[in-house]
Amino acid sequence: MSNSISNALPAPKPGWRPKLGALLAPPEADSRRTSWPTLMLFLAPALLVYAALTAYPVVRTFYNSFFIINDIASSDFVGLAHFAEVFRDATFLAAVRNTAIWSTVAPFLDVITGLLLALCLYAGVPFARFLRVAWFTPVLLSYVVVGIMWVWIYNYDWGVVNVALRNVGLGHWAQAWIGDPRFALASLMVTHAWKWAGFNMVVCLAALHSLPSEVLEAAELDNCGWWEKLVHVIVPMLWPTLLNLYILAFIGKMKVFDLVWIMTEGGPVWSTETVSTYVYKRAFNWNTFDLGYPSAIAVVWFFVVVGFVVFFNVLFRRRERLEY
Amino acid sequence: MHASNSFGDSASRLLRQGGLMAVIVLYTLYSAMPFVWLGSMSLRTTSEISAAHFAWPQTLHWEKFRAAWVDSNFAQYFWNSTLVVGAAVAIVTLFGAAAAHCLARYNFRGNRLVYFTLFSSIVFPPQIILISLFQVLVEFDLYNTRLGLTLVYVGLQLPLTVYLLEGFFARIPQDLFDAAKIDGYSDFEIFWKIVLPVGMPAIATTIILNFIQLWNEFLFAVVLVSEPGLRTLPIGIRAFMGDYFQDIGMIATGMMIAIIPVVIVYAFFSEKLIQGMTAGAVK
Repeated sequence: MSNSISNALPAPKPGWRPKLGALLAPPEADSRRTSWPTLMLFLAPALLVYAALTAYPVVRTFYNSFFIINDIASSDFVGLAHFAEVFRDATFLAAVRNTAIWSTVAPFLDVITGLLLALCLYAGVPFARFLRVAWFTPVLLSYVVVGIMWVWIYNYDWGVVNVALRNVGLGHWAQAWIGDPRFALASLMVTHAWKWAGFNMVVCLAALHSLPSEVLEAAELDNCGWWEKLVHVIVPMLWPTLLNLYILAFIGKMKVFDLVWIMTEGGPVWSTETVSTYVYKRAFNWNTFDLGYPSAIAVVWFFVVVGFVVFFNVLFRRRERLEY
Repeated sequence: MHASNSFGDSASRLLRQGGLMAVIVLYTLYSAMPFVWLGSMSLRTTSEISAAHFAWPQTLHWEKFRAAWVDSNFAQYFWNSTLVVGAAVAIVTLFGAAAAHCLARYNFRGNRLVYFTLFSSIVFPPQIILISLFQVLVEFDLYNTRLGLTLVYVGLQLPLTVYLLEGFFARIPQDLFDAAKIDGYSDFEIFWKIVLPVGMPAIATTIILNFIQLWNEFLFAVVLVSEPGLRTLPIGIRAFMGDYFQDIGMIATGMMIAIIPVVIVYAFFSEKLIQGMTAGAVK
């Protein structure tokens, strides 16, 4: 963020310079202030979009959660019945469990991989620029592409994983990776980490480059082993960045939908069901014909996600840093 | 460099560097091989693939791209994606830049409140708007239309756009605005003739970022579009996969068609893209 804007800063245009008369005039024009109509003209389009496509739908989902909505035209008020049902719904609880495992465990995988890759590049290997671009590429692929690719990679008969295992004589380890409830969730987590490691890598690399080089040189002179250097110097100095990446990944994974839907649709036997896929199923995939109940789940989950964001913000006082 | 280097030292250094190179080579294979595999499958027929899943293409079946493009409707999906994403990115950039400029430049009561309101929805789980947007679009006859999906996409990307551009615009020196104001520039001329040109690198970053994210978007497209002729690429590929589960070769070709624009954008703008995605995550 810091570099890009300094490159962007203005070289004043050749044909444009303050006129002499203007320079002599008293600076009564405060360019930080303007009239309300002007402000509104700038803000109105964005606010209108926000009101119609974010604020109103949020309010309407809250409202929906008190009704059974069979179709667009008819609805029956049921009060808090949906919310009572949500907490007894075994599938929902399984989805919460899977999502919780995913969002607490998987970020370690992402962040540690990202940090190690960044350290490899920081150590000054040849072709670092090329490697950085290459490792970042999976971040840009759609989940549809990533998901289908990895369904093939995990294929029991001819997927890369099982073929490799059989070729090195470990054929008895071959599994139906996403068809077996014991392995499905872990397999999806690996795929998700494959996609996102590159993102964590570029962020860690940027943070490493912003460290004062004296510290690392001093550690070098003290003849620290690389492990001591990593644990005692680099990780503590990068701690804010690493923590931030963990939180970003945590929040991101609480919403995970696309990859699961492409690869397993939540199966086998709910083993990869996430809250997002369950809401989608209840609203649009099962023939339950009720938009109210999934709305109630969405409301519950909204409070959980926003609650975590607020919690992390209060805990670490790092406002305006949380994205996605 | 140092004469005091013992044999043990240099051996361990060699070992360490060898280990480092091994890790790098292995990870590069891990992250790149799926692409190479996909690329090779996209040029082989399904029967060739079934015979040997990991063989190199013997003859390059470029005609598969024509077949996917014409016979399997990928041209239609590509066109839909281009229209929806192109329009959404154009609108969100203009609306977002106007709001970001206003929030970055002017002092007024409620400035931070508006900024926080626009920005904070970035953390919302999508389900909180998904179901009701479906209802709204049905009510306004926008369900199953490209226009409806475009509007939803504008709403989805607005928080990120405002957030990134506000950060960039706030760093344009105030002197430039003072001078322009004294020169008699109106507020809109300042926005149009100074902020947009000066902020162009930042605007380009948000355009690229929004393009990639929307080009890959799946959840809202799958809910808000069911008409086969209006599918965007991700939905089209998924539907094709559902109908021709066995036709691996053609699915691979379709996936390559979806990837190519992203790869082209990435080839030209990789630095900008990485900057845009890391902005905000680093101090």
